[in-house]
Amino acid sequence: MLGDSLTAGLGLPPNEAYPALLGVRLREEGYDWEVVNAGVSGDTSGDGRQRVGWALEGDVRILIVALGANDGLRGLPVGQMKENLQIIIDRARQRGIPVLLAGMEAPPNYGDQYTKEYREVFSDLARRNKVEFVPFLLEGVAGDPRLNQPDGLHPTGAGAAHIADHLWPTVEKMLKK
Amino acid sequence: MRFVVLTAIRETRAAWTRLVFFFVCIAIGVGAIVALRSIIQSVRQVLSTEAKTLIAADILLSTDRPWQPGTPELIAARVSAVPGAQRIASTELPTMARPAEESAGKGGVARVVELRAVQPGFPFYGQLTLQDGRPYSHDLLKDKGALVRPELLAQLGLRVGDRVAIGKAQFTIRGVISNEPGRSLSAFSLGPRVLIDDQELSDTGLLTFGSRVVRQELLRVPESAIDALARDLQSKLQPQFVRVRSYRDRQEQIGEDFERAENYLSLVGLVIVVLGGIAVSSVTRVFVRQKIKSIAIMKCVGGTSRQIFAVYLLQALALGVLGSVIGVALAAIAIAVIPADMNQIGTITVTYGLTRSAVAQGVGIGTLVALLFAMVPLLEVRRVKPSLLLRHETSGRRFDWLQWIAAALVGAALVRLATWQAASLVVGLSVCAGFIGLTVILYLAGMALTWMTRPLTRSSWFPMRQAVLHLRRPGNQTSVILLTVGLGAFFIMGVRGLQVGLLNQFAMQIGEETPDLFLVDIQKDQVDPLRVFLADRLPGTEANLLPVLRARVTGRGVSFEEMEDLKGRGMLSREYTITYRGGLEPNETLVAGRFPNPGEVSIEESIRQRFNISIGDVMRFDVLGRSVNATVTGVRHVEWRDGRSGGFMFVFGAGTFESAPHWFIAPVKANTANAADRARLTHDLVVRFPNVSVIDLREILQAVRKVFGVVTVAIDVVGTLVILTGGLILVGAVAVTKFQRVYEAAIFKTLGASSRTMAAMLMVEYGLLGTLAGAIGSFGALALGWGVSRYALDIPWRPALHENVISTVVTSLLIMTIGVVASADVLRRKPLATLRAE
Repeated sequence: MLGDSLTAGLGLPPNEAYPALLGVRLREEGYDWEVVNAGVSGDTSGDGRQRVGWALEGDVRILIVALGANDGLRGLPVGQMKENLQIIIDRARQRGIPVLLAGMEAPPNYGDQYTKEYREVFSDLARRNKVEFVPFLLEGVAGDPRLNQPDGLHPTGAGAAHIADHLWPTVEKMLKK
Repeated sequence: MRFVVLTAIRETRAAWTRLVFFFVCIAIGVGAIVALRSIIQSVRQVLSTEAKTLIAADILLSTDRPWQPGTPELIAARVSAVPGAQRIASTELPTMARPAEESAGKGGVARVVELRAVQPGFPFYGQLTLQDGRPYSHDLLKDKGALVRPELLAQLGLRVGDRVAIGKAQFTIRGVISNEPGRSLSAFSLGPRVLIDDQELSDTGLLTFGSRVVRQELLRVPESAIDALARDLQSKLQPQFVRVRSYRDRQEQIGEDFERAENYLSLVGLVIVVLGGIAVSSVTRVFVRQKIKSIAIMKCVGGTSRQIFAVYLLQALALGVLGSVIGVALAAIAIAVIPADMNQIGTITVTYGLTRSAVAQGVGIGTLVALLFAMVPLLEVRRVKPSLLLRHETSGRRFDWLQWIAAALVGAALVRLATWQAASLVVGLSVCAGFIGLTVILYLAGMALTWMTRPLTRSSWFPMRQAVLHLRRPGNQTSVILLTVGLGAFFIMGVRGLQVGLLNQFAMQIGEETPDLFLVDIQKDQVDPLRVFLADRLPGTEANLLPVLRARVTGRGVSFEEMEDLKGRGMLSREYTITYRGGLEPNETLVAGRFPNPGEVSIEESIRQRFNISIGDVMRFDVLGRSVNATVTGVRHVEWRDGRSGGFMFVFGAGTFESAPHWFIAPVKANTANAADRARLTHDLVVRFPNVSVIDLREILQAVRKVFGVVTVAIDVVGTLVILTGGLILVGAVAVTKFQRVYEAAIFKTLGASSRTMAAMLMVEYGLLGTLAGAIGSFGALALGWGVSRYALDIPWRPALHENVISTVVTSLLIMTIGVVASADVLRRKPLATLRAE
């Protein structure tokens, strides 16, 4: 799972981040798979692009890409983000690794135009590359004070559980293939 | 009563010339208190004004969540409960700005800006300055006006007068901001500032659910109400995630240093009070002693104890009050002649003037000390029979309740007065502890000195023999001079040592070398092009590119149990920024072990202390999803305040993560202060390396530097003044002891001693006392420096031993010289004249 602080589980014990919860779910459902958390706090899509090679070494079967939140928080140009994510998808494909792309939303303070362009990057990439797609990683979690830490950005344990549940159907579909 | 007053006046008239000298000594002591206290108060005033401009308010409330229902009303109610308090709201959010369509053909480019919407009245402190020099007024923002930083104009290719689109609204750029007070000190900036009117923020449509917005309330509150209001709001609002801080908040680095400076100033204030008190007490003591004979005579002719007591107490009191008043006049003169360049600290003008509280304190201390040191010996007079006094016999000491009660009462009043305005309890306590401790030591040292010099009483050199005998004679002045000089040296050297320590500390922080541009997110393949770019644009600066990775500690050793154990230690399992390199940086020192080889790791001191990790332990890290084991080979100390090469908790050996994906950060010192040049540099950097973020700290650093400038000068001026006046006080206090030896000098001369012999005798006596007092004082000063540095100022303690040695030598020479010079007239005068006068 290539991601940022949301994936790394910033502010949470390591076993409460959503990748760890997905790992537990995998074992419970009888899949003998291991989840590798390659989330790094503060990473933008550009950082992800740099380290995708490192992350894909080893026996990687599925790559979940959950990047872009920091690009959005910092208002980085969307074109650049699109390019970076495309390269990450390309790398995985060269190795024959199926990709799950998790989308993100930019915070509304950047204005309608930016948030719209930002949102379209993910749906565009998913359509063009025909990869599995979850439109919004934080669906049902973002903005809910009960599911987020006091900073209003990072999910709590309960929030992480929500994310894991939200991703599970798509992940399971990929496992079955 | 009439008799008392008349006698007091008659007595005073008789000893007029001698009294002048007493007056001068008291006046110097009191004058020093008044002048220094006044200066400290003026400087403090300037300091706090500067500290306030850093947040543009006295109290700042901020939250990154929407206000909860009732919260704005609660704040309004609390603020209006304080008379004279004001508040304004400010909202900050990062957003996108683009040139408005009609600004022909420049559409499309959008840049991140930090939008701030303010209400009229902003800022409470400091001045918002515009590049063209026009004064800022809120009217500039009315009807969709905006003020912007120059970087934005460069980035969007706009000019003043053009329109910029933010959200759903368009604003006309009315001016260019060159300096904005109260800019967040958190240092991380996403983009240039755009300032608009608070009322027009909602027109942008950006304040919707999920927006990342920081809402602030700036409060202006009368000084005396700040702390109470801040505490009150804190307790009410903390559960709602509202951050409350006052300008003197310790959480900010600057607040901490401000507090250090304040502590230092109050310490110096206290010290000068004690020194002044010593001067006054020394004078009063001698004064009363000389009156003993007259007292005996008055008792013989029928004066009652009560009458006599009243006469002399009145005299002492008049001495104290008049001396103090003269002291205030001296202080006024001293302050008036302060050279003009000391008033100018950078761009800030300090106006020095006598403050009412300083005058009150000075006069109060002058009078009370005179009272204390006159009353206690005078009370003894009640029990003394006239005949005993006439025969120069000393009465057996008996415990006298009244004497003790009087001393305790006046003493308590004194302590109360001395600690008045000494802002910090810690400082007050350490000074008092030092004071008491040293008094005891000096008293014991006096006894030790008389005991140790006993063999010298058989010295064949007459002056030596006599000098040593003087030390132990009845009515000797050993302990008095030791106390005066020892305490004086103690305080002067202590203040000096702290001054040096504090200034070192500040110099490190305001060093011109401090990097002011931080480049982050530099990718590996950009390192060389960036180096070339920086060498081209900033010739002469060596760019220091530091590789950084994020890592999490997952265990010590490789066993799982230990990892569980670590989890309990919380903090260690958080993510750390790590680096790798071949050696120590200038801001690091090796505390233990050695620098790591590739694959090994060095930890910072605090990690070792907090998590009890020792050299040789194997730590397990999770580096970007991979497990890495590394042996701890050494412990480093990082000077966190020196930001030139960053600071890292974990440093790996050279090349450890060469193959791992990571990025670089580069602290850079841009060689230009010109805002437009900097904007161009930043712009070119970002165009060339679009993923690199540039954080410009110049403005913040400058604001901080300005405050440090004031602090530095304040400490320098005040410290130097204390040394000068302290020296003067010592001279007075020692010189006054000459009156005790006038009589015996005359007798020695009658018996055939030459002036030269007398001078040699005085030199040995005062020299011995001065050396001992200076040495003890300087040891005490070292202890005081250590205690105050460590517990009150929180700075590293670096003893300047050679300075202490020099000061000790200077002290003994000084005391020796004073002893001889002060008695010069006695030595020159014919003995008969003295004998008759006495």
